Amino acid sequence: MKLHRTEALSRERFGDHVRLRYRWDAPSIEPGRFIVARAGDLSAGLAPFLPRPFFVHDFADGVASLLFEVRGAGTAALADWGADVNVSEPLGRGFDLGGIGDGPVALIGGDVWVAPLKLLARRLALLGVSHDVYLELPATASETYVDLLHRAYPSATLAPTDGGPEAPRTVLERVGDLTRYRAVFASGPSEMLAVLSEACAGRIAAQLALRERMACADGSCFGCAVAMADGSYARACVEGPVFAAEELARPSGGVTIAGALP
Amino acid sequence: MNPVDSARALAVELCGIPLGTPLIPAAGTLGKEALDGVKGIYGAILPKTVTPEPRAGNPPPRVAEVPAGMVNSIGLQNPGLDRFLDDLDAYDVGLPIFVSVAADTVAQFAAACERLSADPRVAAVELNLSCPNVEHGGLQFCAGPGTVGGVVGVCRAALRGKPLLVKLTVEDAVANAIAAEGAGADAVTLVNTVPALVVDARERRVFLRGGLSGPAIKPVALRAVYEASRALGVPVVGCGGVASGTDVAEFMLAGATAVQVGSGRFARDASEILGEFAGYLSAEGLQARELTGLLGRN
Repeated sequence: MKLHRTEALSRERFGDHVRLRYRWDAPSIEPGRFIVARAGDLSAGLAPFLPRPFFVHDFADGVASLLFEVRGAGTAALADWGADVNVSEPLGRGFDLGGIGDGPVALIGGDVWVAPLKLLARRLALLGVSHDVYLELPATASETYVDLLHRAYPSATLAPTDGGPEAPRTVLERVGDLTRYRAVFASGPSEMLAVLSEACAGRIAAQLALRERMACADGSCFGCAVAMADGSYARACVEGPVFAAEELARPSGGVTIAGALP
Repeated sequence: MNPVDSARALAVELCGIPLGTPLIPAAGTLGKEALDGVKGIYGAILPKTVTPEPRAGNPPPRVAEVPAGMVNSIGLQNPGLDRFLDDLDAYDVGLPIFVSVAADTVAQFAAACERLSADPRVAAVELNLSCPNVEHGGLQFCAGPGTVGGVVGVCRAALRGKPLLVKLTVEDAVANAIAAEGAGADAVTLVNTVPALVVDARERRVFLRGGLSGPAIKPVALRAVYEASRALGVPVVGCGGVASGTDVAEFMLAGATAVQVGSGRFARDASEILGEFAGYLSAEGLQARELTGLLGRN
């Protein structure tokens, strides 16, 4: 995978979460696309071995940002190590904004999966598409992370959960009547997406941004398999990471979503 | 070194096929979506292993990172030979195309080779006798010299006029390679991913049972190449953990005529690997074709 060495403009910590801003010289980045990134230079060896996939959180005026949780060596290095980061070009298939007119549409996210919704909200605002943002707030969220969400999504409705078995439904209950929206764009924990997918089925078009374990990130290895409704496996890195909800298999009422490499 | 000299230094020949560089993508690591700009990097293109019938592949998770590498269990997901050949032009970037084949039975292997014989776009065939991630069409064909010799012999007869490469597992690599050569293989590729297990201790379950690749297996692969190349008259294609230009040189010095790059290109840009290798050749005043088996002879 070809990575571009770029200047990290800032790294902000919000509890376990980090917002990393870097310079990216491009006219635009489609919301819902992702990049892979690794920290520092490679003279010290390939540890960890693989770059990490991240949704593009935001992009404006030549500055892109990532929002991620520090979960292991790869994310820790990106959070702390060195002045530079190595990033790929934007990859994959993002949100399809066709057919939504001037809205309204609902953006629904949860936990660190809220990352791709910021750029989507920015694009929708640019297009004049009316939209509401609903974010599930996990019981474990730190005050600093809540503060980040308030700043990143100033008009969002936050839906705190208690982490119990009904938690995946919490954000949906805050949305209320889904049918007043022309479309739903969602990115969240698998349980939340499963509930959402079920609620939207046959009623309203929903697009889900999935996080998957990835290796090549360019369609070569078929490692990021996503189970589809027709029984096949699609690749999150090429056919996704955004899928129409009806494309996806829903074994036991839910979509299967693994965590990304930490 | 000027570009002409650099190109001359990188060129090798494998089974009579001129390769602009000794690099070949390992099967399943360079898809048609990732072919932009690869012409100057690789000497040949080698798409993901194809089987006679389509395969859906294994359920996720399919990959896990481990120290110095990764484990995969893709399960040979592929569209089957018919659709593969319909789509083969997508791999035409002006380089020879090698086709990797796996099958459940010897007869299916032979039938696939027969079809590939007739397709002028196919420069060579690599039998995947060593995929660790499928119940059939996998490692049982590497069970020993007898089974290797059996399937290679039938495929050699079926594949007319084209080089036959045989990709083997690390276990019994030399004996199996000798059997492959004896049955008519024109080259052997050593090694496929190494059977491996990833355990989730917190959940107390097997997370992934698959094949290990990456720098972790390089020394193992180097030894297989080193020993097999001394026992064989046919070329050896090295594979396993190549992630730098020095790695390429090491495999060739150990006896490889060409070198496959697999998961190393997930971690790095393959053009950087080739650039480092070209730098090594220039610094050493050598040409790639001179490296093969040079180890211990200087």
